[in-house]
Amino acid sequence: MKKIFVIVIVLTGFVFIALMNSCKVSQKVSMKTGAQLWAENCQRCHNTPSPSSFSPQQWETVGLHMQTRALLTDEERNKIVEFLKQ
Amino acid sequence: MIQGNKLLKILLPIGLLLMQSFIATAQQTVVDSSVLDRLNELEKKVASTKPGEDHVMIVGLATMGFATYKTTNTLNGTSTVTKGNSFPDADHFELSPMFLWRHGNKFLVEFEPSFSNNGLSVNWANVSWFAAPGLIIRAGYFVLPLGTYAKREAAGWINKLATDPMGVADMTPTDYGVEVSGGQPLGNMKFNYDFALTNGNQLQADGTITSGNIVDNNNNKTFTGRLGLLPFSNSSLEVGVSGMFGKVGDQGSEQLNTMAKVYAFDLNFVKLYKPILVNIKAQYNIQDIDKVYYTNPSDSSLYTFNNHTTAYFVQGSIRPTGAEGFIKNIELAGRYTSFNTPTNSSFGSDQHTITVGLNYWFSWRTVFKVTYESYKGNSTASKLLGFYSGTTTTNTLFIHFAIQL
Repeated sequence: MKKIFVIVIVLTGFVFIALMNSCKVSQKVSMKTGAQLWAENCQRCHNTPSPSSFSPQQWETVGLHMQTRALLTDEERNKIVEFLKQ
Repeated sequence: MIQGNKLLKILLPIGLLLMQSFIATAQQTVVDSSVLDRLNELEKKVASTKPGEDHVMIVGLATMGFATYKTTNTLNGTSTVTKGNSFPDADHFELSPMFLWRHGNKFLVEFEPSFSNNGLSVNWANVSWFAAPGLIIRAGYFVLPLGTYAKREAAGWINKLATDPMGVADMTPTDYGVEVSGGQPLGNMKFNYDFALTNGNQLQADGTITSGNIVDNNNNKTFTGRLGLLPFSNSSLEVGVSGMFGKVGDQGSEQLNTMAKVYAFDLNFVKLYKPILVNIKAQYNIQDIDKVYYTNPSDSSLYTFNNHTTAYFVQGSIRPTGAEGFIKNIELAGRYTSFNTPTNSSFGSDQHTITVGLNYWFSWRTVFKVTYESYKGNSTASKLLGFYSGTTTTNTLFIHFAIQL
Protein backbone atom coordinates (compact mmCIF):
# COMPACT_ATOMS: atom_id res chain seq x y z
CA MET A 1 0.00 0.00 0.00
CA LYS A 2 2.82 2.35 0.94
CA LYS A 3 4.62 1.56 -2.34
CA ILE A 4 1.48 2.31 -4.34
CA PHE A 5 1.08 5.57 -2.47
CA VAL A 6 4.70 6.58 -3.22
CA ILE A 7 4.31 5.61 -6.90
CA VAL A 8 1.11 7.65 -7.18
CA ILE A 9 2.81 10.65 -5.55
CA VAL A 10 5.85 10.40 -7.86
CA LEU A 11 3.71 10.00 -10.98
CA THR A 12 1.53 12.91 -9.90
CA GLY A 13 4.70 14.92 -9.42
CA PHE A 14 5.90 14.16 -12.95
CA VAL A 15 2.53 15.04 -14.44
CA PHE A 16 2.48 18.19 -12.37
CA ILE A 17 5.96 19.29 -13.50
CA ALA A 18 5.01 18.53 -17.11
CA LEU A 19 1.88 20.64 -16.75
CA MET A 20 3.78 23.50 -15.12
CA ASN A 21 6.30 23.55 -17.95
CA SER A 22 3.73 23.38 -20.71
CA CYS A 23 1.39 25.97 -19.26
CA LYS A 24 0.45 28.30 -22.05
CA VAL A 25 -2.45 30.65 -22.11
CA SER A 26 -4.62 30.78 -25.22
CA GLN A 27 -4.92 34.03 -27.16
CA LYS A 28 -8.64 34.11 -26.30
CA VAL A 29 -7.81 34.14 -22.59
CA SER A 30 -4.77 36.42 -22.81
CA MET A 31 -6.86 39.08 -24.60
CA LYS A 32 -9.23 39.36 -21.64
CA THR A 33 -9.35 42.71 -19.88
CA GLY A 34 -9.11 43.27 -16.14
CA ALA A 35 -12.82 44.10 -16.05
CA GLN A 36 -13.70 40.80 -17.72
CA LEU A 37 -11.49 38.81 -15.37
CA TRP A 38 -12.92 40.72 -12.37
CA ALA A 39 -16.46 39.82 -13.45
CA GLU A 40 -15.62 36.17 -14.09
CA ASN A 41 -13.35 35.32 -11.19
CA CYS A 42 -14.49 37.27 -8.12
CA GLN A 43 -18.04 35.94 -8.32
CA ARG A 44 -16.76 32.37 -8.17
CA CYS A 45 -16.77 32.85 -4.38
CA HIS A 46 -18.39 36.20 -3.57
CA ASN A 47 -20.06 39.21 -5.17
CA THR A 48 -17.91 41.29 -7.48
CA PRO A 49 -16.30 44.04 -5.40
CA SER A 50 -16.72 47.71 -6.15
CA PRO A 51 -13.45 49.38 -7.25
CA SER A 52 -14.24 52.25 -4.88
CA SER A 53 -14.14 49.99 -1.82
CA PHE A 54 -10.40 50.24 -1.36
CA SER A 55 -7.52 52.55 -2.29
CA PRO A 56 -5.02 51.53 -5.01
CA GLN A 57 -2.50 50.50 -2.36
CA GLN A 58 -5.11 48.44 -0.54
CA TRP A 59 -6.13 46.71 -3.78
CA GLU A 60 -2.50 45.61 -4.22
CA THR A 61 -2.63 43.96 -0.80
CA VAL A 62 -6.11 42.49 -1.28
CA GLY A 63 -4.97 41.15 -4.67
CA LEU A 64 -2.20 39.11 -3.06
CA HIS A 65 -4.57 37.85 -0.37
CA MET A 66 -7.16 36.80 -2.93
CA GLN A 67 -4.52 35.04 -5.01
CA THR A 68 -3.76 32.79 -2.05
CA ARG A 69 -7.47 31.94 -1.71
CA ALA A 70 -8.77 31.64 -5.27
CA LEU A 71 -5.40 30.56 -6.72
CA LEU A 72 -5.64 33.06 -9.55
CA THR A 73 -2.88 33.07 -12.13
CA ASP A 74 -0.40 35.96 -11.83
CA GLU A 75 -1.70 37.54 -15.01
CA GLU A 76 -5.27 37.41 -13.73
CA ARG A 77 -4.29 38.97 -10.42
CA ASN A 78 -2.32 41.78 -12.08
CA LYS A 79 -5.08 42.64 -14.54
CA ILE A 80 -7.85 42.53 -11.94
CA VAL A 81 -5.87 44.69 -9.49
CA GLU A 82 -5.05 47.22 -12.23
CA PHE A 83 -8.75 47.41 -13.10
CA LEU A 84 -9.77 47.87 -9.47
CA LYS A 85 -7.14 50.54 -8.91
CA GLN A 86 -8.65 52.80 -11.62
CA MET B 1 17.71 121.66 -32.13
CA ILE B 2 16.12 119.86 -35.05
CA GLN B 3 18.74 117.16 -34.71
CA GLY B 4 17.94 116.97 -30.93
CA ASN B 5 14.22 116.49 -31.66
CA LYS B 6 14.97 113.73 -34.15
CA LEU B 7 17.20 111.99 -31.65
CA LEU B 8 14.47 112.26 -29.00
CA LYS B 9 11.93 110.76 -31.42
CA ILE B 10 14.24 107.81 -32.00
CA LEU B 11 15.33 107.27 -28.40
CA LEU B 12 11.90 107.66 -26.73
CA PRO B 13 10.28 104.57 -28.29
CA ILE B 14 13.42 102.57 -27.59
CA GLY B 15 13.35 103.70 -23.97
CA LEU B 16 9.67 102.84 -23.65
CA LEU B 17 10.25 99.41 -25.16
CA LEU B 18 13.11 98.80 -22.76
CA MET B 19 10.99 99.88 -19.78
CA GLN B 20 8.12 97.60 -20.88
CA SER B 21 10.58 94.78 -21.24
CA PHE B 22 12.01 95.38 -17.72
CA ILE B 23 8.50 95.56 -16.21
CA ALA B 24 7.38 92.40 -18.04
CA THR B 25 10.53 90.54 -16.96
CA ALA B 26 10.02 91.66 -13.36
CA GLN B 27 6.38 90.50 -13.40
CA GLN B 28 7.38 87.19 -14.97
CA THR B 29 9.89 86.58 -12.20
CA VAL B 30 7.25 87.26 -9.55
CA VAL B 31 4.82 84.81 -11.20
CA ASP B 32 7.48 82.10 -11.60
CA SER B 33 8.59 82.27 -7.99
CA SER B 34 4.98 82.00 -6.82
CA VAL B 35 4.39 78.91 -8.96
CA LEU B 36 7.68 77.44 -7.88
CA ASP B 37 6.79 77.99 -4.23
CA ARG B 38 3.49 76.21 -4.71
CA LEU B 39 5.19 73.40 -6.59
CA ASN B 40 7.70 73.01 -3.78
CA GLU B 41 4.87 72.82 -1.25
CA LEU B 42 3.06 70.20 -3.30
CA GLU B 43 6.24 68.18 -3.72
CA LYS B 44 6.73 68.21 0.05
CA LYS B 45 3.15 67.04 0.56
CA VAL B 46 3.49 64.29 -2.01
CA ALA B 47 6.78 63.20 -0.46
CA SER B 48 5.16 63.00 2.96
CA THR B 49 2.37 60.74 1.64
CA LYS B 50 4.53 58.70 -0.74
CA PRO B 51 3.53 55.07 -0.57
CA GLY B 52 6.32 52.80 0.56
CA GLU B 53 6.84 49.24 -0.56
CA ASP B 54 5.13 47.96 2.58
CA HIS B 55 1.47 48.21 3.32
CA VAL B 56 -0.67 47.22 6.30
CA MET B 57 -4.42 47.03 6.30
CA ILE B 58 -7.26 45.54 8.32
CA VAL B 59 -10.15 43.74 6.66
CA GLY B 60 -12.02 40.72 8.07
CA LEU B 61 -15.65 40.24 8.97
CA ALA B 62 -18.35 40.61 11.59
CA THR B 63 -21.52 38.53 11.89
CA MET B 64 -24.39 38.64 14.33
CA GLY B 65 -27.87 37.29 14.54
CA PHE B 66 -30.81 35.68 16.29
CA ALA B 67 -32.04 32.09 16.29
CA THR B 68 -35.23 30.51 17.50
CA TYR B 69 -35.65 26.73 17.50
CA LYS B 70 -37.79 23.78 18.46
CA THR B 71 -36.16 20.41 19.10
CA THR B 72 -37.97 17.09 19.50
CA ASN B 73 -36.02 14.11 20.78
CA THR B 74 -37.58 10.68 20.69
CA LEU B 75 -35.94 7.91 22.69
CA ASN B 76 -37.57 4.54 23.46
CA GLY B 77 -40.98 5.84 22.43
CA THR B 78 -40.83 8.93 24.65
CA SER B 79 -40.60 12.37 23.09
CA THR B 80 -39.15 15.46 24.70
CA VAL B 81 -39.70 18.89 23.21
CA THR B 82 -37.37 21.81 23.81
CA LYS B 83 -37.93 25.34 22.58
CA GLY B 84 -35.49 28.18 22.81
CA ASN B 85 -34.06 31.27 21.28
CA SER B 86 -30.83 33.10 21.53
CA PHE B 87 -29.65 36.59 20.69
CA PRO B 88 -27.18 36.10 19.14
CA ASP B 89 -27.13 32.40 18.45
CA ALA B 90 -23.88 30.94 19.72
CA ASP B 91 -22.66 29.71 16.34
CA HIS B 92 -23.45 32.88 14.48
CA PHE B 93 -21.65 35.68 16.23
CA GLU B 94 -18.15 36.49 15.13
CA LEU B 95 -15.88 39.51 15.00
CA SER B 96 -12.75 38.65 13.09
CA PRO B 97 -10.51 41.51 12.00
CA MET B 98 -7.92 40.25 9.52
CA PHE B 99 -4.55 41.96 9.46
CA LEU B 100 -2.70 41.95 6.16
CA TRP B 101 0.93 43.03 5.91
CA ARG B 102 2.34 43.29 2.40
CA HIS B 103 6.08 43.59 1.83
CA GLY B 104 6.37 44.75 -1.76
CA ASN B 105 4.73 42.20 -3.99
CA LYS B 106 6.59 39.17 -2.72
CA PHE B 107 5.52 38.64 0.88
CA LEU B 108 2.16 38.73 2.62
CA VAL B 109 1.45 38.11 6.28
CA GLU B 110 -2.13 37.16 7.18
CA PHE B 111 -3.34 37.12 10.76
CA GLU B 112 -6.98 36.76 11.74
CA PRO B 113 -7.87 36.72 15.43
CA SER B 114 -11.50 36.00 16.14
CA PHE B 115 -13.92 36.72 18.97
CA SER B 116 -16.80 34.25 18.88
CA ASN B 117 -18.59 31.61 20.91
CA ASN B 118 -15.16 30.01 21.41
CA GLY B 119 -13.86 33.16 23.08
CA LEU B 120 -10.72 34.62 21.59
CA SER B 121 -9.06 32.39 19.02
CA VAL B 122 -7.04 32.62 15.84
CA ASN B 123 -8.45 31.62 12.46
CA TRP B 124 -5.09 31.77 10.67
CA ALA B 125 -1.62 33.25 11.04
CA ASN B 126 0.86 32.70 8.25
CA VAL B 127 3.39 34.17 5.85
CA SER B 128 3.10 33.72 2.08
CA TRP B 129 6.03 34.13 -0.30
CA PHE B 130 5.07 34.75 -3.92
CA ALA B 131 8.20 32.99 -5.08
CA ALA B 132 7.55 32.76 -8.82
CA PRO B 133 4.64 33.04 -11.24
CA GLY B 134 2.20 30.34 -10.20
CA LEU B 135 4.10 29.43 -7.04
CA ILE B 136 3.14 30.62 -3.56
CA ILE B 137 4.99 29.15 -0.59
CA ARG B 138 3.26 29.58 2.74
CA ALA B 139 4.24 28.69 6.29
CA GLY B 140 2.43 29.02 9.59
CA TYR B 141 -1.13 28.26 10.65
CA PHE B 142 -3.57 27.95 7.76
CA VAL B 143 -6.72 26.23 6.49
CA LEU B 144 -5.85 22.98 4.76
CA PRO B 145 -6.72 22.47 1.09
CA LEU B 146 -9.36 19.80 1.56
CA GLY B 147 -12.22 20.77 -0.70
CA THR B 148 -13.03 24.44 -1.04
CA TYR B 149 -15.81 25.16 1.45
CA ALA B 150 -13.70 25.93 4.52
CA LYS B 151 -11.07 27.88 2.63
CA ARG B 152 -13.21 29.95 0.29
CA GLU B 153 -16.93 29.82 1.08
CA ALA B 154 -17.39 29.69 4.85
CA ALA B 155 -17.04 33.38 5.72
CA GLY B 156 -20.33 34.84 6.90
CA TRP B 157 -20.45 37.53 4.21
CA ILE B 158 -19.77 34.91 1.50
CA ASN B 159 -21.91 32.02 2.71
CA LYS B 160 -25.41 32.24 1.20
CA LEU B 161 -27.00 30.71 4.31
CA ALA B 162 -26.67 31.44 8.01
CA THR B 163 -25.37 27.97 8.80
CA ASP B 164 -22.42 25.86 7.66
CA PRO B 165 -23.09 22.48 6.04
CA MET B 166 -22.72 19.94 8.84
CA GLY B 167 -19.48 18.01 8.88
CA VAL B 168 -17.98 19.48 5.73
CA ALA B 169 -16.24 22.40 7.38
CA ASP B 170 -15.52 20.39 10.55
CA MET B 171 -13.62 17.77 8.54
CA THR B 172 -11.29 20.46 7.13
CA PRO B 173 -8.57 21.22 9.65
CA THR B 174 -6.61 24.39 10.20
CA ASP B 175 -3.09 23.28 11.00
CA TYR B 176 0.57 24.24 11.43
CA GLY B 177 2.95 23.52 8.57
CA VAL B 178 4.05 24.53 5.09
CA GLU B 179 2.12 24.77 1.85
CA VAL B 180 2.81 25.30 -1.84
CA SER B 181 0.04 26.47 -4.13
CA GLY B 182 -0.66 28.34 -7.32
CA GLY B 183 -2.75 28.73 -10.42
CA GLN B 184 -1.65 28.22 -14.02
CA PRO B 185 -3.26 28.71 -17.42
CA LEU B 186 -3.75 25.65 -19.60
CA GLY B 187 -4.82 26.90 -23.00
CA ASN B 188 -8.45 27.94 -22.64
CA MET B 189 -8.57 26.18 -19.28
CA LYS B 190 -6.88 26.78 -15.93
CA PHE B 191 -5.73 24.50 -13.20
CA ASN B 192 -4.64 25.10 -9.64
CA TYR B 193 -2.79 23.08 -7.06
CA ASP B 194 -2.46 23.29 -3.30
CA PHE B 195 -0.24 20.90 -1.31
CA ALA B 196 0.44 21.08 2.41
CA LEU B 197 2.57 19.24 4.93
CA THR B 198 1.40 19.74 8.51
CA ASN B 199 1.46 18.31 12.03
CA GLY B 200 -1.78 16.50 11.28
CA ASN B 201 -4.82 15.29 13.13
CA GLN B 202 -4.71 13.55 16.50
CA LEU B 203 -6.80 10.53 17.43
CA GLN B 204 -9.00 11.00 20.49
CA ALA B 205 -10.17 8.37 22.99
CA ASP B 206 -13.58 8.03 21.31
CA GLY B 207 -12.26 7.66 17.73
CA THR B 208 -12.79 11.26 16.64
CA ILE B 209 -9.85 13.35 15.49
CA THR B 210 -8.78 16.90 16.36
CA SER B 211 -6.63 19.31 14.42
CA GLY B 212 -4.66 22.50 14.87
CA ASN B 213 -2.16 21.12 17.34
CA ILE B 214 0.94 23.25 17.60
CA VAL B 215 2.92 20.29 18.98
CA ASP B 216 2.74 17.10 16.91
CA ASN B 217 1.69 13.93 18.75
CA ASN B 218 3.94 11.77 16.57
CA ASN B 219 6.83 12.10 14.14
CA ASN B 220 4.65 11.54 11.11
CA LYS B 221 3.54 14.54 9.12
CA THR B 222 0.21 14.74 7.30
CA PHE B 223 0.04 15.41 3.57
CA THR B 224 -2.97 17.27 2.21
CA GLY B 225 -3.35 18.13 -1.45
CA ARG B 226 -5.93 19.44 -3.86
CA LEU B 227 -5.97 19.74 -7.63
CA GLY B 228 -8.56 21.99 -9.23
CA LEU B 229 -9.53 22.36 -12.87
CA LEU B 230 -11.48 25.17 -14.51
CA PRO B 231 -12.35 23.66 -17.88
CA PHE B 232 -14.07 26.70 -19.40
CA SER B 233 -12.35 29.91 -20.47
CA ASN B 234 -14.91 32.02 -18.54
CA SER B 235 -13.96 30.30 -15.25
CA SER B 236 -17.62 29.46 -14.59
CA LEU B 237 -16.93 25.89 -13.49
CA GLU B 238 -14.31 24.53 -11.11
CA VAL B 239 -14.00 20.92 -10.05
CA GLY B 240 -11.50 19.72 -7.51
CA VAL B 241 -10.23 16.56 -5.90
CA SER B 242 -8.44 16.48 -2.55
CA GLY B 243 -6.84 14.00 -0.22
CA MET B 244 -5.37 14.07 3.27
CA PHE B 245 -3.19 11.25 4.56
CA GLY B 246 -1.45 10.91 7.89
CA LYS B 247 -0.94 8.89 11.04
CA VAL B 248 -3.04 10.11 13.93
CA GLY B 249 -1.95 7.97 16.90
CA ASP B 250 0.21 9.21 19.77
CA GLN B 251 3.94 8.50 19.70
CA GLY B 252 4.69 5.36 21.72
CA SER B 253 1.07 4.24 21.87
CA GLU B 254 -0.43 1.06 20.38
CA GLN B 255 -2.36 3.32 17.99
CA LEU B 256 0.75 5.06 16.60
CA ASN B 257 0.33 3.59 13.13
CA THR B 258 -3.36 4.38 12.86
CA MET B 259 -3.87 6.11 9.52
CA ALA B 260 -6.54 8.66 8.71
CA LYS B 261 -7.41 9.08 5.05
CA VAL B 262 -9.76 11.82 3.99
CA TYR B 263 -10.93 12.51 0.44
CA ALA B 264 -12.97 15.41 -0.88
CA PHE B 265 -14.58 16.22 -4.20
CA ASP B 266 -15.79 19.74 -4.84
CA LEU B 267 -17.72 21.55 -7.54
CA ASN B 268 -18.40 25.23 -8.04
CA PHE B 269 -20.48 26.64 -10.89
CA VAL B 270 -21.32 30.33 -11.16
CA LYS B 271 -22.76 31.83 -14.32
CA LEU B 272 -24.95 34.74 -15.30
CA TYR B 273 -27.98 33.75 -17.35
CA LYS B 274 -29.24 37.28 -17.85
CA PRO B 275 -30.68 38.59 -15.66
CA ILE B 276 -30.22 35.69 -13.17
CA LEU B 277 -26.89 34.80 -11.55
CA VAL B 278 -26.92 31.05 -10.90
CA ASN B 279 -24.64 29.70 -8.22
CA ILE B 280 -24.21 25.97 -7.52
CA LYS B 281 -21.77 24.59 -4.98
CA ALA B 282 -21.19 21.05 -3.76
CA GLN B 283 -18.65 19.07 -1.78
CA TYR B 284 -18.40 15.42 -0.80
CA ASN B 285 -16.05 14.37 2.03
CA ILE B 286 -15.12 10.81 2.95
CA GLN B 287 -13.05 10.03 6.03
CA ASP B 288 -11.61 6.62 6.91
CA ILE B 289 -9.61 5.92 10.04
CA ASP B 290 -8.01 2.51 10.57
CA LYS B 291 -10.01 0.17 12.76
CA VAL B 292 -8.55 0.12 16.28
CA TYR B 293 -9.81 -0.61 19.79
CA TYR B 294 -11.14 2.08 22.10
CA THR B 295 -11.89 1.99 25.80
CA ASN B 296 -15.45 2.35 27.06
CA PRO B 297 -15.20 5.04 29.77
CA SER B 298 -18.01 3.50 31.82
CA ASP B 299 -16.46 0.06 32.43
CA SER B 300 -12.99 0.16 30.76
CA SER B 301 -13.96 -2.62 28.33
CA LEU B 302 -12.60 -2.50 24.78
CA TYR B 303 -14.78 -1.93 21.75
CA THR B 304 -14.23 -1.21 18.08
CA PHE B 305 -16.18 0.03 15.07
CA ASN B 306 -15.73 0.83 11.41
CA ASN B 307 -14.51 4.45 11.67
CA HIS B 308 -16.02 5.73 8.43
CA THR B 309 -17.55 9.19 8.08
CA THR B 310 -19.13 10.94 5.12
CA ALA B 311 -20.40 14.46 4.73
CA TYR B 312 -21.72 16.23 1.70
CA PHE B 313 -23.80 19.19 0.63
CA VAL B 314 -25.39 20.50 -2.54
CA GLN B 315 -26.30 24.16 -2.57
CA GLY B 316 -27.97 26.36 -5.15
CA SER B 317 -28.79 30.05 -5.19
CA ILE B 318 -30.19 32.53 -7.65
CA ARG B 319 -30.03 36.31 -7.72
CA PRO B 320 -31.32 38.64 -10.44
CA THR B 321 -28.15 40.71 -10.57
CA GLY B 322 -29.02 41.89 -14.07
CA ALA B 323 -32.37 43.36 -13.00
CA GLU B 324 -33.02 46.96 -12.03
CA GLY B 325 -33.91 48.36 -8.64
CA PHE B 326 -34.63 46.63 -5.36
CA ILE B 327 -35.03 43.12 -6.76
CA LYS B 328 -31.40 42.83 -7.87
CA ASN B 329 -30.38 42.78 -4.19
CA ILE B 330 -32.57 39.76 -3.36
CA GLU B 331 -31.14 36.26 -3.37
CA LEU B 332 -32.80 32.88 -2.83
CA ALA B 333 -30.71 29.96 -1.59
CA GLY B 334 -31.26 26.33 -0.70
CA ARG B 335 -29.03 23.50 0.48
CA TYR B 336 -29.23 19.82 1.31
CA THR B 337 -26.63 18.44 3.72
CA SER B 338 -25.90 14.91 4.88
CA PHE B 339 -23.50 13.94 7.64
CA ASN B 340 -23.05 10.30 8.66
CA THR B 341 -20.73 9.43 11.51
CA PRO B 342 -19.58 5.87 12.37
CA THR B 343 -22.21 3.29 13.30
CA ASN B 344 -21.64 1.57 16.67
CA SER B 345 -19.27 4.28 17.86
CA SER B 346 -20.12 6.51 20.82
CA PHE B 347 -21.14 9.31 18.48
CA GLY B 348 -22.65 7.56 15.44
CA SER B 349 -25.53 9.24 13.68
CA ASP B 350 -27.17 9.76 10.31
CA GLN B 351 -27.97 13.45 10.02
CA HIS B 352 -29.65 15.44 7.30
CA THR B 353 -30.62 19.06 6.95
CA ILE B 354 -32.66 21.01 4.46
CA THR B 355 -31.88 24.70 4.58
CA VAL B 356 -33.54 27.53 2.69
CA GLY B 357 -32.81 31.22 2.81
CA LEU B 358 -33.80 34.65 1.60
CA ASN B 359 -31.03 37.26 1.52
CA TYR B 360 -30.93 40.98 1.00
CA TRP B 361 -27.60 42.42 -0.13
CA PHE B 362 -27.01 46.00 1.05
CA SER B 363 -23.74 46.04 -0.88
CA TRP B 364 -21.41 43.49 -2.42
CA ARG B 365 -20.08 42.66 1.06
CA THR B 366 -22.98 43.33 3.42
CA VAL B 367 -25.90 40.94 3.70
CA PHE B 368 -29.01 40.37 5.80
CA LYS B 369 -30.13 36.73 5.79
CA VAL B 370 -33.28 34.96 6.89
CA THR B 371 -32.57 31.23 6.98
CA TYR B 372 -34.80 28.31 7.93
CA GLU B 373 -33.21 24.95 8.64
CA SER B 374 -34.86 21.60 9.24
CA TYR B 375 -32.61 19.00 10.84
CA LYS B 376 -33.21 15.30 11.35
CA GLY B 377 -30.75 13.02 13.10
CA ASN B 378 -30.99 9.30 13.82
CA SER B 379 -28.53 8.00 16.34
CA THR B 380 -26.49 5.02 15.12
CA ALA B 381 -24.35 5.00 18.25
CA SER B 382 -23.78 1.73 20.04
CA LYS B 383 -26.81 0.56 22.02
CA LEU B 384 -24.67 -2.05 23.77
CA LEU B 385 -22.39 0.64 25.13
CA GLY B 386 -25.30 2.85 26.10
CA PHE B 387 -24.60 5.69 23.65
CA TYR B 388 -27.78 5.39 21.57
CA SER B 389 -29.68 8.67 21.78
CA GLY B 390 -32.76 8.14 19.59
CA THR B 391 -34.09 10.43 16.93
CA THR B 392 -33.84 14.20 16.96
CA THR B 393 -35.56 16.78 14.82
CA THR B 394 -34.84 20.49 15.09
CA ASN B 395 -36.37 23.35 13.17
CA THR B 396 -34.56 26.66 13.45
CA LEU B 397 -35.17 30.14 12.12
CA PHE B 398 -32.04 32.27 11.85
CA ILE B 399 -31.84 36.00 11.34
CA HIS B 400 -28.31 36.86 10.39
CA PHE B 401 -26.33 39.94 9.45
CA ALA B 402 -22.83 39.72 8.00
CA ILE B 403 -20.42 42.38 6.86
CA GLN B 404 -16.93 42.28 5.46
CA LEU B 405 -14.74 44.78 7.25
